[in-house]
Amino acid sequence: MSDSMNFSNVKYFFLPTILLVSSLPLGLLANGSFALLAILLSGLSAFQTIRLLKRNGVRETEKVELDSFSCRNQIFSSVDQLSAGIAHEINNPLGIISQEIEWLRHILKKQEISSSVDRKDLDDCEDSLMEISRQVDRCNEIVQKLLSLARQVEPVIQEVEANDVVLSVLEIVNREARDFNINIVAQLDESLPPISTDPPLLRQAVLNLLVNARQAIERDGEICVSTRRTDSEFVEIEIRDNGCGISPENLNRVFTPFFSTKPEGKGSGLGLAICRGIIERLGGEITVESEFGKFTAFTIKLPVGKKKERSLFV
Amino acid sequence: MEKYRVLIIDDEEDFVETIVKRLRDRGLDAEGALSGPEGLQILENKDFDVIILDVKMPKMSGIETLREIKKKKPLVEVIMLTGHGSVESGIQGLQLGAFNYVMKPVPLDELLKQMNQAYERKLIEEERNH
Ligand SMILES: Nc1ncnc2c1ncn2[C@@H]1O[C@H](COP(=O)(O)OP(=O)(O)OP(=O)(O)O)[C@@H](O)[C@H]1O
Ligand SMILES: [Mg+2]
Ligand SMILES: [Mg+2]
Repeated sequence: MSDSMNFSNVKYFFLPTILLVSSLPLGLLANGSFALLAILLSGLSAFQTIRLLKRNGVRETEKVELDSFSCRNQIFSSVDQLSAGIAHEINNPLGIISQEIEWLRHILKKQEISSSVDRKDLDDCEDSLMEISRQVDRCNEIVQKLLSLARQVEPVIQEVEANDVVLSVLEIVNREARDFNINIVAQLDESLPPISTDPPLLRQAVLNLLVNARQAIERDGEICVSTRRTDSEFVEIEIRDNGCGISPENLNRVFTPFFSTKPEGKGSGLGLAICRGIIERLGGEITVESEFGKFTAFTIKLPVGKKKERSLFV
Repeated sequence: MEKYRVLIIDDEEDFVETIVKRLRDRGLDAEGALSGPEGLQILENKDFDVIILDVKMPKMSGIETLREIKKKKPLVEVIMLTGHGSVESGIQGLQLGAFNYVMKPVPLDELLKQMNQAYERKLIEEERNH
């Protein structure tokens, strides 16, 4: 058992490297865009490797855990470099495309005034530009998500009420939920101690979970958001929905980057990967429980405020 | 309360006027701008601690403005104001580094609470960068 695990680890580690190396010459030929894609892919499979190493490491010896830890750090820093590369290499061309779209629109406006041009051709051009700009928006969105996933900015820790954070996110989704006849119930434990966390990062994670819950229900259903204290060191935030649920074979894949069951263009499969990244950086843990066709519940476990923690040791 | 610098960017002139006045009454150094480009222009010449930014504005949207602000001044904290709670812009805004979203009409005390938290965050980040 342990042998086969090691094999798969090795395989996952070399695959991206081979991919990366073999794609470089190809990429150079094609203006660098293929190379970029390959670098991206290998970066992400490397990211997966860390997850595997990390999870398998739990049951193996301390030495292996240490090895995978340093490996994880190494890979993380290269993921960081990748993200900087992506930002530069893809964002800039996207920016230029957007500017050129504006320029073409401007030219078309001028043509509209002169009557010599075919009206229908002009309309077609405008439609086409509209579609290009929609697709550029989509690319922008994915780049943004990749950056969120890879970004290793250190969290800024503040002491806040977990309930306040939850309520501020509920405000964002409440109205849209009502439009789809989705009832959001908040069961907040008023006696929660403050938590030490990065509020905007936590909001981002909770919002992603609420959006997934809403999408899982589509129409007519209920999302229950609850907070509670489990022991002296942790508080929990649970987001539970009575939507489509997750099939057993998919349950352990939902946090994998790019895993999505949503139609093309609807889901990039990065939401939960971003969530997990955030929660782990905040010193917490995120878990999922689901019954296909019945319910799904994500639970975020976060450490209570530093002040409390310190006083335990005094 | 410490006198920190706040910039309000919103296309509703009455709203900007009132809120600037009320924040000044509370001892803050507040200024207003009626569009994204105007706000960015003001940022060229003066640093701010917290920016309150309307999501829905003609010409340049709040999200576009946020993107530009964060490019120019990554450390300034931005609170997004929205009239209707759009989930799409919520995700985008937080991903771009907004501190929070606050729904209009916003009670001044609630806004101040968020602003103080955002300001505290900025101080922590500044300290860390030194
Ligand atoms: N609450 C839920 N109920 C049922 N399935 C879910 C739920 N949350 C996540 N999933 C499943 O996990 C997959 C991955 O979720 P994730 O948020 O990472 O990506 P996505 O929602 O598909 O796309 P994105 O979040 O990038 O727009 C989803 O496609 C869906 O199959
Ligand atoms: Mg999602
Ligand atoms: Mg407006």
